[in-house]
Amino acid sequence: MLAPLPSQRWNRQTAGHLLNRAAFGGTPAEIEATCKKGVAAAVRELVNVSADAAQVPPPSWAKPRNIRAERTQIRMAKGQGQNSKEKQRAIQTMEGENLLDLRRWWLDRMMNGPAPLLEKMTLFWHGHFATSAQKVRDAYWMWLQNDTLRRDALGSFPVLVKKISRDPAMMIYLDLQQNRKEHPNENWARELMELFTVGIGNYTEDDIRAAARAFTGYHIDYATQQFRFAPRQQDLGMKTFMGHSGPLNGDNIINILIQKPACAQFIARKLWLFFVEDEPLQETIDLLADRIRAHNFEMRPVLRELFSSAEFYSERALGMQIKSPVQFIVQTTRLLQTQLPSPMVAQNAMRQMGQILFAPPNVKGWDGNKAWITTSTLFFRYNFANYLINGDAMLPSRALVHANVPDPAFRPAVQRQQLAEQIKRPPIDIRKIVPEELRDKPRELIDLLSARFFPKQLSEKETNTFVEFLDARTPDTGDATMRELVHLMMSTTQFQMV
Amino acid sequence: MKTKTTLQTRREFLRTSVLGAAATWTLPVFLEKTFFALDAMAASAATQIVTGKDGTILVVLQLAGGNDGLNTVVPYADDAYHRARPRLALRDEQILKIDNHVGLNPKLTGLKALYDEGHLAIIQGVGYPNPNRSHFRSTEIWQTASDASRNETHGWLGRYFDNCCSGVDPTVGVAIGEEMPQAFVAKNPTGITFSRPEQFRWRASEPGKGHLTAEEHFFRQLNGSDEEITAAANNGASIGVLPGKATSELSTVEFLQRTALNAQLSSDKILAIARKYKSTVAYPQGQFASSLNIIARMIAGGLATRVYYASHGGFDTHAGQINTHTRLIGQFNDAVSAFVADLKQQGNFERVLLMTFSEFGRRVAENANGGTDHGAAAPMFIIGGTVKAGLLGQYPSLVDLDRGDLKFNIDFRSVYGTVLDKWLKARSEVVLGRNFPVLAIV
Repeated sequence: MLAPLPSQRWNRQTAGHLLNRAAFGGTPAEIEATCKKGVAAAVRELVNVSADAAQVPPPSWAKPRNIRAERTQIRMAKGQGQNSKEKQRAIQTMEGENLLDLRRWWLDRMMNGPAPLLEKMTLFWHGHFATSAQKVRDAYWMWLQNDTLRRDALGSFPVLVKKISRDPAMMIYLDLQQNRKEHPNENWARELMELFTVGIGNYTEDDIRAAARAFTGYHIDYATQQFRFAPRQQDLGMKTFMGHSGPLNGDNIINILIQKPACAQFIARKLWLFFVEDEPLQETIDLLADRIRAHNFEMRPVLRELFSSAEFYSERALGMQIKSPVQFIVQTTRLLQTQLPSPMVAQNAMRQMGQILFAPPNVKGWDGNKAWITTSTLFFRYNFANYLINGDAMLPSRALVHANVPDPAFRPAVQRQQLAEQIKRPPIDIRKIVPEELRDKPRELIDLLSARFFPKQLSEKETNTFVEFLDARTPDTGDATMRELVHLMMSTTQFQMV
Repeated sequence: MKTKTTLQTRREFLRTSVLGAAATWTLPVFLEKTFFALDAMAASAATQIVTGKDGTILVVLQLAGGNDGLNTVVPYADDAYHRARPRLALRDEQILKIDNHVGLNPKLTGLKALYDEGHLAIIQGVGYPNPNRSHFRSTEIWQTASDASRNETHGWLGRYFDNCCSGVDPTVGVAIGEEMPQAFVAKNPTGITFSRPEQFRWRASEPGKGHLTAEEHFFRQLNGSDEEITAAANNGASIGVLPGKATSELSTVEFLQRTALNAQLSSDKILAIARKYKSTVAYPQGQFASSLNIIARMIAGGLATRVYYASHGGFDTHAGQINTHTRLIGQFNDAVSAFVADLKQQGNFERVLLMTFSEFGRRVAENANGGTDHGAAAPMFIIGGTVKAGLLGQYPSLVDLDRGDLKFNIDFRSVYGTVLDKWLKARSEVVLGRNFPVLAIV
C-alpha cells in the first residue's frame, strides 16, 4: 500500500504540485482554492470525471469519408488521362489543415477543458500507444484514436488495449491491417509486447511469431473508415504463446499478457515516470504494481491512490521533473493568463521543442525528462517564452516570414501572408500578473512572481539576482521592463522544472 | 571582442547597481570545482589539443528505421537474392556493379563515383552477436556499443568525449536536430544540438543594438556564463571535464544547468560561423542535405568539433518498400554527393571521414506487403578523402541464415574501434572496453 500524505503536509506547495502534475498547472488563485479543499477532495475532483466529460464533441471536420470511392475516382481519372495529381494534392492539403486544427482542438481542451486530468491521461496514453499521423496520413483516424484514448483513459487498461488493437490509426501505423493468414506481419505483435504491455525481455521471438498469427483477420473498411473483422483471413490454427496452446486469437493474446506480473510492473513504471519522477525506487514500483493488480487494471482508483500518496509529494518529486513541451506551452500560457498562440505557431513550437502531438518520433513515444532538453530546445524554450510574453514585437521585422519556416523562398506569397497573420501577437497584459503597488518594491515583487512561476522556493542568492535586475532599471518600472523581468525569470533552468 | 563588450556592460552594471557584487548562484558546486581545477590543468597542459579546427573530423550519419542492406549493396549475382525477393529484387542491368557479385543500388551514382575514385569503403555484413530485432534496443546497442546482453547508459561517442577529449569546449560534438543522440550521452554532458545555426541564440526582449543589453548580461549570469567562464572556455580550458573521480550521474538540475551553460558558450561561435560561411555548392532539398550542409558550413568555419552527427528516418519499410526506399536512398546519395563536393571545394575532404550506420538490415525474404521485416547484418559506408577504398569483408550467405536474417561477419565495434584508433587517434580500448580487430579502412 502506498502511504497516504499526512494532512499537515497539505499546503500551497503540495497543492500546486498536484495541479502541476495531474493537470497543467494552476495560477496562484487556483492553487489557493485547491489548497482550501484539502487533499482528499482535491484529488477526488480531479479523478472523478463525469462520463459527459469524456464524450467530447469532435471538431466539425472529423467525419468518416469513403476513402475507397475516393481512390477509385482518382484511379479512374488517371486511367482517362485526367490530372489526378490535383485531386490528391487537395486531399493532402485538407488533411494537413485538419491535423493543424486537431492540434489546436486538443491544446485548447488541455488549456480550458473541464477535466484536465482526463486530458493529461489521454496524453499519457498517446505517448504509450504512440501513433504518428506521418504514416497514418488521415486526421479523422487520428481524432478517432484520440477519442478512444479519452473515453477509456481512466478506465480499464485491458479494455483499452483491445480497443487499440482494433483502432484504424494504430492498425495502419503498425501494419496490423496488412496481417494476413498466409503472411503474418510481426510489427504490431512485437510492439504490443515490447512497448504496450510487458516490456522487452519478457517474451521470445517465437511468441512474436505466434502473436502475429493470432492477430490475423483485423481489417479496415475503407468505405466507412472503421474496423472490420474478416473471419476468412483469420488463422485459427494451433499456436503456442507463452506456454498457452490453442487456436488463440488476438484478445486471448492480450488476456495472457495482462496476467503476466511484468505487465503491471511495466504500466506502474510508466505511470510513475510520467506523473512523479525520473528514477523511481523499485520498491515504489512494486507497491504501485500491486495496487494496479488489486484494482484489476482500473486506472481511476489507481490514480486516486497515487495522487494521495506521500511518495507523490516527496522531496524526490516536488519540482524535480522537466516540463514536457506540451506542458510548457499550456502551463506557461496559463501562468501568463493569456491566450494560446495561433495553431500554426503552436505546431511549430511543438516541433522545435521535440513533441508534436499526433506525431511522436516513433512507436516508443517520447523519452521524456532529460531527453526534452538539448542546447537547441533549451534556447527555443527561452525564446518562445519571450514570444508568448512580448508577442511578435520580439521578432526582428524581417523575421515574420523567416521565424518558423525553413525555406520561405519556396512558399507562395499567399502562404507567407497567412503565416505572417498567424505570427501576429500582442504583448501580454502585464497588469494581470504584476500588481501596481509592487512595481517599485522589487523584493516583494520577485517573491510574488517566484511563487507563480517556480515550483520551488528560490534561494536568497537566486532572488537577489532578479532584484538586482530591477535595481539596475530604477526608476523605470514600466510595462516593458516588467515583461523583460518575466522573460528573464522564464529564461532559467528553474522555469523548466515542474 | 564579445568579452570586451561584456566587460563594459558589467562595469556599467556595477556602477548603476546598488548590490554591485553579482551573484553567481547558478554556477553550481560541480562547476565551481571544475573551475578551480582549470588553473592546475591549464598549467600542466603541455601538449596542444587536437580540435576540429585543423585535426581530423568524424561525421556519423544514421539511417534510422533499419535500412535494407540487400537493396543498398546488392548481391545481384546471387540467385538466392532473386528467389527471396520476387517483387523487390533490383534488376541486374540497373545495378551499379562493383564486382561480379555485388553492386550498388541504381540511385547510388554519387557513391559509385566515390568508389571509383578511391574514396569509399564498403564494409559488408556488419552486425553483432545475438542480434536484437527491436528498433529501440538495437539502436541502443549501436549507440552505446554494448554487447546485446548488457545495458549501457552512455553512448560510445559520449565515452570518447569523457575519456579522450579533456580540455576542449562543448562544441567537440555537434548533433544536427533537436534530439541528442544516445551515442552522445556522457557522464559529463558535452556536445550540443541545434537544427538551425541562425536561431541558435537567446533573444532579449529588447533586441540589442550592437552591444549587450543589461537583460542579456543578466541572462548570461542566470545561465552560468558570465565573462569569467566564457573567457576560460575560450582560452581552451576545459568545462567539459569534471575533475576528480566523479562517478555519479548528474541530477536533473545539474544536467539542465550544464546544458544551459553549453548552449550559452557555443552560441556566439556558431552564429558567427553561420553568418560568415555559406556553401557555394548547390544542395538538394531534404533533411539529409540540409543537415550535411550545416555540417559543411561549420567545418568551413573552423568550429572545434571533432564529431558531427545527423540522422534521417523513414527506413522502416514493412510495406510498399520499393518507392520509399528508392526515394530515401536517392536523397542520401544526392546529399552525400553535394557534401563531398563542398568539402573538396573547401579543401577539407582529406580531414573528414563520414560513416553511415543503421540499427539493422532487413529480412532476406520480402513479405506479403511488398516490404521487408526487421533483419540483422547490413553493410556500412565509410567515405573520405584519405579513406582506403574497397570492398571489405564477405557478403553474408543468403541461404545460411539466422531466423531468416543475414549472419554478420564483422562486428560493428571493429568499425568504431578502427575509427577511434586510426582516425580520431583515441584509444579505442578505453572507449569500447576491449579491443576489436582493426580494419583496413584508414
